[in-house]
Amino acid sequence: MTDVHGIVYAYHSSPGLGELTRGRTNASLPFAGRYRLIDFALSSLSNAGVRDVGVIMQRDYQSLLDHVASGKAWDLSRRRGGMRLLPPFGDNHRGDYSGTAEALNGVIGYVRGIPQEHVVLLPADVLCNVDLAAAIQRHLAGGCGVTAVCTRSVPKGTHYRCTLGENDRVKRLLFRQRGAGPGVAALEIYIIRKDVLLLILDRCAQENRFHFHHDGLADYLAQGGSMDAVLHEGYAARIDNVEDYFSASMDMLQPGPRASLFPTDRPVRTKERSDVSTYYGEDARVENSLVADGCYIEGTVKNCVLFRGVRVAPGAVLENCILMQDTDVGEQAALKYIISDKNVSLSAYVTLMGSEKLPLVIPKNSAL
Amino acid sequence: MKKSCIAMLLAGGQGSRLYALTAKVAKPNMPFGGKYRIIDFPLSNCANSGIDTVGVLTQYQPLQLNRYVGSGQPWDLDSTDGGVYILPPYQSAGERGSWFSGTANAIYQNMDFIEMYDPDQVLILSGDHVYKMNYAEMLRAHRAAGAGCTISVIQVSMEEAPRFGIMNVGDDGFICEFEEKPARPKSDLASMGIYIFDWKLLRRYLVEDEADPNSQKDFGKNIIPKMLAAGEKLLPYRFSGYWRDVGTITSLWDANMDMLSDAKLNLFDPQWPIRARSPIRPPHYAGAGARIVHSIVTEGCVIEGQVENAVLSSSVTVGAGATVAYSILMPGAVVEPGAVVEYAIVGENSRVSSGAHVGAQPDGSESWGVATVGPDVTVPPGVTVPASAMIYDSSEVQP
Repeated sequence: MTDVHGIVYAYHSSPGLGELTRGRTNASLPFAGRYRLIDFALSSLSNAGVRDVGVIMQRDYQSLLDHVASGKAWDLSRRRGGMRLLPPFGDNHRGDYSGTAEALNGVIGYVRGIPQEHVVLLPADVLCNVDLAAAIQRHLAGGCGVTAVCTRSVPKGTHYRCTLGENDRVKRLLFRQRGAGPGVAALEIYIIRKDVLLLILDRCAQENRFHFHHDGLADYLAQGGSMDAVLHEGYAARIDNVEDYFSASMDMLQPGPRASLFPTDRPVRTKERSDVSTYYGEDARVENSLVADGCYIEGTVKNCVLFRGVRVAPGAVLENCILMQDTDVGEQAALKYIISDKNVSLSAYVTLMGSEKLPLVIPKNSAL
Repeated sequence: MKKSCIAMLLAGGQGSRLYALTAKVAKPNMPFGGKYRIIDFPLSNCANSGIDTVGVLTQYQPLQLNRYVGSGQPWDLDSTDGGVYILPPYQSAGERGSWFSGTANAIYQNMDFIEMYDPDQVLILSGDHVYKMNYAEMLRAHRAAGAGCTISVIQVSMEEAPRFGIMNVGDDGFICEFEEKPARPKSDLASMGIYIFDWKLLRRYLVEDEADPNSQKDFGKNIIPKMLAAGEKLLPYRFSGYWRDVGTITSLWDANMDMLSDAKLNLFDPQWPIRARSPIRPPHYAGAGARIVHSIVTEGCVIEGQVENAVLSSSVTVGAGATVAYSILMPGAVVEPGAVVEYAIVGENSRVSSGAHVGAQPDGSESWGVATVGPDVTVPPGVTVPASAMIYDSSEVQP
C-alpha cells in the first residue's frame, strides 16, 4: 500500500503525567512491560503497509530519538522513503505547538512534498491496535475527503466525540471531554486526502487557528466537506494523566484488553534490548502480573507490570505496582501502588505506598 | 577487504542423536535456555570477541537456520565490510559439485570465501556447544606462541575422557599426541572442537587432505593428526568455564537445567551478552492461579498453572491446573489445563492436551529417561507418554 503516507504527532507532553513525562514526551512513555506509547502508532502503520512515515517532534525528544532511532524495528528504515523525523524548523518562535494543526503547519514543507495522495494522521499517545489496513481500504472505497477512526466504547482520558448520520457519515464534531457522551469517540486517527489536508491547514494558518480537530475539521464539515467514520472494536485509551496511565497498565492484566492490543496478526514492534529470559527463584510468588524478559524475581509480585531487567530480591512484596526497566527492589521491601521510572533503586526494607487514585511515582534514576 | 581473523562456523551437522527434535531442523537451530538457539552462543561469542566476519556452513535442513541467522543483525554481525554469510554447498562450472563430505571438506569447498578476506588466521567453530568464550584471548595466545594451530581444550574427568578427542601435551607445552575417543586416555584434556589455524598453513593441509583418497576429510580424524605427524606447532588453549555439548537428549536436558543456576553459565552478564533473534511478542503473563518457581520464562508465554524447575521458550501456554516440572518447553508449546509434563522435552508448537501425561519421575531403573515429544505433535487428551519415549508424529500417540 504505497499511496498512503503516515504522520505521527509525537511532540506532546501531558502536564497530568507529571514526573513520568519529565524529560520525555507522551510518545516515549513506557507501557506494558516493554513498549513505548509510540510503538502502537508506528506498528499500526507498518502493519498496514504504510512505508513512508513522518514523526513530528518539538522538544524533549532525546528519549524518543533513542527509542525510534532509524525506524528499523518497524521496518521503516528504507533506502527510499521510510521514517523521517520532523523537528521544528528554525523560524518557530512561538513556543510549544498549541494544537495538531499548528504542528502540521510547523512542518508544512514536508507535508506539501508528500508524494502520496492520502495521509494518515495518528497521535503517538493513543493506545490502540487499529486495523489500519481495513480503515484505509474503507477510506479509499468510500470516497470521502476524510475518514475518522472512532470507537463506540468509552476510551480512558479526554477525547473528542462526533455524532454519526446514515452510513456512519460524521454529522457533527463535539468538544473534548472525559467519559461517555453522545455519538462515538474519535481516536484522532484520520485518513485524509492530501489536497483536503493542505486546504484545511492553509485555512488554519491564515486564521491563526491551531487545532486540527475542532478548528480544521469542524470548518471543513461546515463548508460541506464529507467525512466518514470507521469503528474500531477493540481496546482504546488516551493517556494523559497518571491515574489513567496506571489504570490502562492494569487493564493489560486482563485477557480481553491484552488480546486486543497485542493480536498475533498485528504485532506491536519495539526497540529490541536482547535481555535473557526471566528467572523465577525458589521462593518466587508471582500472580496476575505481566513480566518482560530479563527480570530476576525472588520475591512476591501480585497485580504488577514488570518491565525488562527488573530485580525483585527475596522477601520483597509488590502489589499493584508498575516497575519500569532495570528497577531494583531490595530484600523485604514492601511496595503498593508504586510506579517506578527507569533505573530506580529501592533498597532493602523500604516501605512505600500509593493508592489506586494516586499512585506514587518515583522519578527516573532515583535511589531510595 | 583484508581481515586479520575470520570465523567459519560448521552448522551443517544433522544432530542425529536428538532424533525427533532435529528431524526437520539443524541442531544449531535448536531452542535452548528460554529465548536462545544453540547458534546464538558461537555467534554472540564472535561478536563479543570482535570477530565481525563469520561464514556459516549449512547443509542439513538449512531453511529454518537460514531464516534465523538472516542478515546477522541481532548479533551486530551486519556490518558493511563483513558480517555473517550462509555458505551452502554449491556447484561450479565444469564440476559436478558435491555435498560437504566432512568438516575439513566443508572448509575446503569454501576456500574462495576465506581468500576474499585474506585472513592471517581462521577460527573454526561448531554449532553444537553452549559456552561463553573470548576468542580474542585464544587468538592472542596463538599468536604469542607462534603456533600453526591452536586447539581449545577443557579438562574432563578421566571417566568421561574416552568420549572425547584427547590431547596429550609435551614438556614444551605443545600438543604431542591426539587420540580420538581413546579407550585408555593418557590425559584429561578434551578438544572442544574450536580451532584457530594460520590460514596459509591450513590451506596447504586442506589441499593435501582433499587429494588423499583414504581421508575422511575431518579435522579431528585427519587434519590434526597430519599436522602433528609433520611436526607443526599445535598449541593447547585451556578453557575453564562452562562448556556443554548438547548433542543428545540427556545432555540437552541437563544443559537446560544448568541454566536455572547462575553459577553454571551466567546469562545475565552485561559484559558478555548472548543475543538472539526474538519473535515479536508481549511480556509473559502469570495468571492469578499461576505458581512459577525456579524456572526460566520467556516473553509471549501465558502461565495459569504450576511451573517448577522448567525452561520455557517464547509463547508457551500452560493452562490452569496443569503441571510442568523438570521440563523444557520449546517455542509455542501448549500444555492444556490439567495436563502434566514432567522430565520431558516438548518440541516447537506441540500440544499436550487436557488430562494427558508426558514423562515420568526417575524411578531408578536403567530404562528411565527424559521423554521427548517432537515438534508439531499433538498428544491427545488422557494419553500417557512414558519416560524415555521419543515421539516423532501425532500418529504415534493416538488414544
